Amino acid sequence: MSDEPKISNSQPEAGPTATSSTVPMWIFSLTLVLIYLGAVYFDHHGGWFDSQIYSPYMSADELDSYQPKSGAAAMLAQGKKTYEMICGICHGVDGLGKPGQSPPLAGSEWVNAKGDKRLAMIPLLGLAGSVTVKGQNWNMSMAPMGAGLSDSDLAAVLSYIRTSWGNKDEPVTPDDVKSVRAIVAGHSAINGEAQLKTIPE
Amino acid sequence: MKTGFRVFLAAFIALGTSWCGFVLAPVLQLGEAKQTQVLNSSDIYPVQRTGDATLGLQVYRASGCAACHTEQIQQSGVACEIELTSVGKNPDAVEKQINANVSFPLGVNFITNDQNIPYVGNPVLISHLPQIILNHLEKSKADAVVGGITSAAGKAEIHIVATGADISRGWGVRRSVAADYLYDYPVQLGSVRVGPDLADVGARLGNTDWQLLHLYAPQSMTKNSAMPPFRFLFETKKIGDAPSPDALQLPKKFAPPAGYEVVPTDDAKNLVAYLLSLRADAPLYEAPFTPPQISTNVPAK
Repeated sequence: MSDEPKISNSQPEAGPTATSSTVPMWIFSLTLVLIYLGAVYFDHHGGWFDSQIYSPYMSADELDSYQPKSGAAAMLAQGKKTYEMICGICHGVDGLGKPGQSPPLAGSEWVNAKGDKRLAMIPLLGLAGSVTVKGQNWNMSMAPMGAGLSDSDLAAVLSYIRTSWGNKDEPVTPDDVKSVRAIVAGHSAINGEAQLKTIPE
Repeated sequence: MKTGFRVFLAAFIALGTSWCGFVLAPVLQLGEAKQTQVLNSSDIYPVQRTGDATLGLQVYRASGCAACHTEQIQQSGVACEIELTSVGKNPDAVEKQINANVSFPLGVNFITNDQNIPYVGNPVLISHLPQIILNHLEKSKADAVVGGITSAAGKAEIHIVATGADISRGWGVRRSVAADYLYDYPVQLGSVRVGPDLADVGARLGNTDWQLLHLYAPQSMTKNSAMPPFRFLFETKKIGDAPSPDALQLPKKFAPPAGYEVVPTDDAKNLVAYLLSLRADAPLYEAPFTPPQISTNVPAK
């Protein structure tokens, strides 16, 4: 059989051996450059593994800039949030009030007043004594719940209650609240409807 | 085997690093996920499913819905729209300010009379405000335009809008994020879209009767639908003393023989409850958008 491989009996003198040799310098440099470029790209586009950052947004700053927060709609939304946290506990998230606890705001003639000065004074000073709302007499007392709010928060809440649940009035600006706050500084709680009516709308 | 330890070490490192990447890192990133607040609202998102919807998830899983439907809306970008709410006392100045910031084909053209609307430019009837005057703007541009409008004593708002193929198909209003799946076990992401995406189907097609009819006879609700009927979720029964209040009101072509009625089983009702619970329409910090309108104008009783 001529094509049968020939088996040699002689031992090879030396088999191939592995020796140590240094990695070429250019591979090192290239790897470092690639790692650097990758890190730069990641820094700009990766969002640093933040669980809040998803793809069209590339960084926390970019995501933050797209939060809808300007304009009247955002102000009303802010007002809704604050209202539900503070005012809604007594006046109800639907603005209908609670029997024996607090009068309704929806359709209330005090909320729907022409001007907003008188309305703004109620949360700033508090209101005690008897007051008539939608033909029903209420005699309770409200603490100055709005005194601790910022001008913009209080303006947002007042705008929210003046434009919600069927109320259709001009929103209140932070400047309005600021001027009212300056007027009421140092005064005590409003005492009933009689005193409330002496304040210009 | 001289290199045994080294082989073990290499295998350990290879498996260990992939475990860190595929298991440990996601757990560190999202393992603590919990309910969040809806943007500009005191509402909490997501809300735990009702009992029937939780059972419905298992029907969804058992019926193989995920083989043809995904539950993941994708979003390729984000754009700004400008809604003009007031032009103030000097509309010409507002118009000038807007056009100073946007290039020619986008520029607005204020008109006061709807009888002669010009066919050039972007006519804006200023007696019918608020209205969207510009869209597909970048944030910086939108800020510049609104700044210009404000400086001319007008009022405008920026609306944030998600963009992408899924959004334009009407499958949702924003991308899906991890919070959407907080109460899904197992998560039914799906990978093939023979049918439409269902991540927001409860907001899109939120009608129980429609969903039941569609499960029993998809073609009765959507002509040319490729979906197979899921009739095993329904019972065809002889009408007893009185017809069942649950019986489906089927069109003639799909109706059972006279004297019979089609009644959904509990599985069908649970599945529909689950489908209606699929809603990805809350604006979140991680996926912001301006909702179409803030529902504050609930009429007073």
